[in-house]
Amino acid sequence: MEFSSLTEALASKSYEKIPDICDNLLLQAAAEGVAYEDDWPYAIHLLGHIYVDDINSARFLWKSIPSAIKETQLELVAVWKIGQKLWTRDYGGVHEAIRGFDWSQEVQCLVAGFSELYTKRMFQLLLSAYSTISIQDAALFLGMNEDDATNYVLQQGWVVDPASRMLTVKKQAIVTEQKLDASKLQRLTEYVFHLEH
Amino acid sequence: MGSLEGLVIQIQGLSSSAGDISRLHVTLKQAEESLRSESTRLYPILNQLDPSNHSLGYLYILDACTSASISKEQAATLVPYIARFISLCVPEQIRLAPEKFMSVCKRFKDQVVLLGTPIRGVAPLMAAVRKLQNSSEHLTTLHPEFLLLCLLAKFYKIGLSILEEDIFVVDQPRDLFLYCYYGGMICIGQKRFRKALELLHNVVTAPMSTINAIAVEAYKKYILVSLIHHGQFSTSLPKYTSSVAQRNLKNFCQPYIELANSYSTGKIAELEVYVQTNGEKFESDNNLGLVNQVVSSMYKRNIQRLTQTYLTLSLQDIANTVQLNSPKEAEMHVLQMIQDGEIFATINQKDGMVRFLEDPEQYKSCEMIERIDSSIQRIMALSRKLTTMEEQTSCDPLYLGKAGRERQRFDFDDFDTVPQKFNI
Repeated sequence: MEFSSLTEALASKSYEKIPDICDNLLLQAAAEGVAYEDDWPYAIHLLGHIYVDDINSARFLWKSIPSAIKETQLELVAVWKIGQKLWTRDYGGVHEAIRGFDWSQEVQCLVAGFSELYTKRMFQLLLSAYSTISIQDAALFLGMNEDDATNYVLQQGWVVDPASRMLTVKKQAIVTEQKLDASKLQRLTEYVFHLEH
Repeated sequence: MGSLEGLVIQIQGLSSSAGDISRLHVTLKQAEESLRSESTRLYPILNQLDPSNHSLGYLYILDACTSASISKEQAATLVPYIARFISLCVPEQIRLAPEKFMSVCKRFKDQVVLLGTPIRGVAPLMAAVRKLQNSSEHLTTLHPEFLLLCLLAKFYKIGLSILEEDIFVVDQPRDLFLYCYYGGMICIGQKRFRKALELLHNVVTAPMSTINAIAVEAYKKYILVSLIHHGQFSTSLPKYTSSVAQRNLKNFCQPYIELANSYSTGKIAELEVYVQTNGEKFESDNNLGLVNQVVSSMYKRNIQRLTQTYLTLSLQDIANTVQLNSPKEAEMHVLQMIQDGEIFATINQKDGMVRFLEDPEQYKSCEMIERIDSSIQRIMALSRKLTTMEEQTSCDPLYLGKAGRERQRFDFDDFDTVPQKFNI
């Protein structure tokens, strides 16, 4: 089995490409009738789906893995635990699952990449969903201890009230370029032409 | 057998130019009967032929091999040959005998299912679809077979890539029914409920002269997905639905319609009781998982209803109104809805309050313009296609024959303008 495209993606940290690469390689191996199950990098494949937040595909992949492999590969089971926590939306549990296993070298970088991405996603969620939140809950969502969490959000412009242990959320104003170019005029001309005929 | 060797030599010799291949085709058609009677002795011949250069000949041999019923062991031998053939065959040659290609692929699908390894067929059937179709707008008989394998192998994402393509040409009506039904199931599996509704809607409203089982099953899922995605369901079908469907579909789906009625009351306890008592019916239709999703969507629906009445509400009040156990549970539900974009709100933990907000989309951004632009382009392309179809239909003799019969016998212009009587 040719895994060069997969190793390349891992080396260049293009983790979002991993689920499609793995899916295609697996389907090719299955079509050729190769007995791929024993050597297949299921942990990386599963983490790929988790990385792009496609928990549905992760669930189906998990269901298709032979139970013998599920029983012997402990790292795979640990990866699935992360997926389960995401599925049940146990926001804090995801961090626990990430930290609760001694990852092997191949998987280590991918897990670290996901952990960073997930923390950023959680921060964005807190930003959009809360006007005030307790330091305790913020720490749970961000997977940090309370002091680290407080420092993290203070750097983003939030305000802390140490007496009540409450954080006030402050959104940074995002300015996006709104540029229009000549091709829009061309398109409008086409629409008017179409409507008149 | 002498003639078999002769045939092999002909296939090898006559496969290089288009003229040669048409002569070969005639020879192969004549040899069909004798090939089928020799089906067990044909396996070694496959090794003498090249699936790419001799695609047409290889296809006829494969068709003969698979025409008789096959044991599991024979299937295990044949499957790799067919898989390899599909990936290497040349579209120009196999399109000379499309029905044969479809038969071979269908039997291939049956064999991988028989062997219990549907995943082996996913990649080959996807390649087969691409080689058989005249364009990406063409729906072939192999499309639903491919989707079925995706469902059985639980590889949904790859099925979605085919479903994204717009279909304008269909070979057989049955293909469309099955394609949209399986496609709906794949979208449900990936939680793409809007697209699932579209596909199931197509099955239910497709022209049909008698009610068929696919439409009935599709309608059941249509009701459930409607409840999950829109929070409501109406039994009235659009005007273009066949009269057969309008009259009969409801009768086959009574438990589901009653579920929808119970859902509309907003009382989750009643809904759960109904599901409990009728669980067996939903289970035997393989819809129990979907029904459970309908029940959980009730909380979301009830919270969404609150946004129409309140500007702010306490977490405790939300918990009480929606029948959740605690303000913390209410907070988690609201948080998940915010994450999924189903509600715009901010939670204020200090006061234990939720403030409901307006949709912040101003429809003024460049991204929104891009989206509207691409929708307009699609509709313009569709409009052009419809105009072309209308022109073609207006010239079609079958249509003119039928429309002609219904016209008046004389046009107004046929009558003379000369007055009836002269006054001399």
